[in-house]
Amino acid sequence: MRLFRDEALEEADVRPTLLGVVTLLFLLLFFLMSTTSGQRLGVVDLRLAAPGQAPPLPHSGLVKAVRVALAPTHAAVEFEVATTDISAASTARELRRIEIPAHQGALDLAALTTAIDTVHRIDPSQTQAEILPEAEVATATVLAAVDVVRGPADAPFFPKVSLR
Amino acid sequence: MSVTDEPTGRRAATVPTAAGSGARRAHGRRRRLFSGGSAGAGTVGLDVGALAPMVDMMTLLLVFLLRTYSTDLAPAPPSGPFELAGTASEDARKGGIEILVSAEAIYVNGQRLAAWQYVGDEGRIEPLYDMLLQARPKARAEVHADATVPWRRLSRVLATAQAAGVQQIGLVGAHAGAM
Repeated sequence: MRLFRDEALEEADVRPTLLGVVTLLFLLLFFLMSTTSGQRLGVVDLRLAAPGQAPPLPHSGLVKAVRVALAPTHAAVEFEVATTDISAASTARELRRIEIPAHQGALDLAALTTAIDTVHRIDPSQTQAEILPEAEVATATVLAAVDVVRGPADAPFFPKVSLR
Repeated sequence: MSVTDEPTGRRAATVPTAAGSGARRAHGRRRRLFSGGSAGAGTVGLDVGALAPMVDMMTLLLVFLLRTYSTDLAPAPPSGPFELAGTASEDARKGGIEILVSAEAIYVNGQRLAAWQYVGDEGRIEPLYDMLLQARPKARAEVHADATVPWRRLSRVLATAQAAGVQQIGLVGAHAGAM
């Protein structure tokens, strides 16, 4: 018994096979569209201090603290810079402030990004920042500010963001 | 039809078929998506040349859908407008207690707890606090807040969750790269 015949077979019609593939793809497409949503969700994790937990030690680098005061349409980036030897026991601090005015009646995220980048360049080892939203700031603005302060995933500015 | 294997010169097959002659004719004439009956017997229906781009298109559509769509459906209140705030974060949801904060009310795991108009203006949100105290496990909660909810309300929800013993809170937003 031979498995293969010597003579070539008649060329097969590929149309039924292709139609079968298209049909399967159609079924898969409808299945996907009925079980999924076009809205993908992203989670911003917030760490909550446990009751009685001591505040973290001051940062040992040049930029001691970074705060973003957030209003519905404008913001201000405040940061404390050590003006003496950072290894000294007592370090004098200078408070600097970058104002982010409103742009077309909304928060200027591009200007906020530039300001945050400026602070990050002074002391890249600082990874913490605080955001202090005013009472009437919308959730969308808070989340947008958190995204800006955290920075892009591949080159983050201040990945540890606290909301106060 | 006569097919000859050129290196050996051996005749491999001599099978005249209507389909084979039809395909040969299709190469010779202007390309058509559908072969009509006038083209001859055996060529009625879709042409092979029309099916290959359709398979390509469907494959591209599937890849696009798999990349942009999510099986993680966002919860929504049963009534009233609700739109999640946008975020650049691509971190996936990790589960936990689901707190939904709309402009009108607060929901926990799909159950309506309290309308904002009946909740005081300051301090802890008592119905939410009581509910979270009873929830097990409560190591983590995810807050789905409407984009228009002001911080004075959202901060009270976060503070109440913290007071009830929730250790980790995630603020959920709609990923900006989605459709």
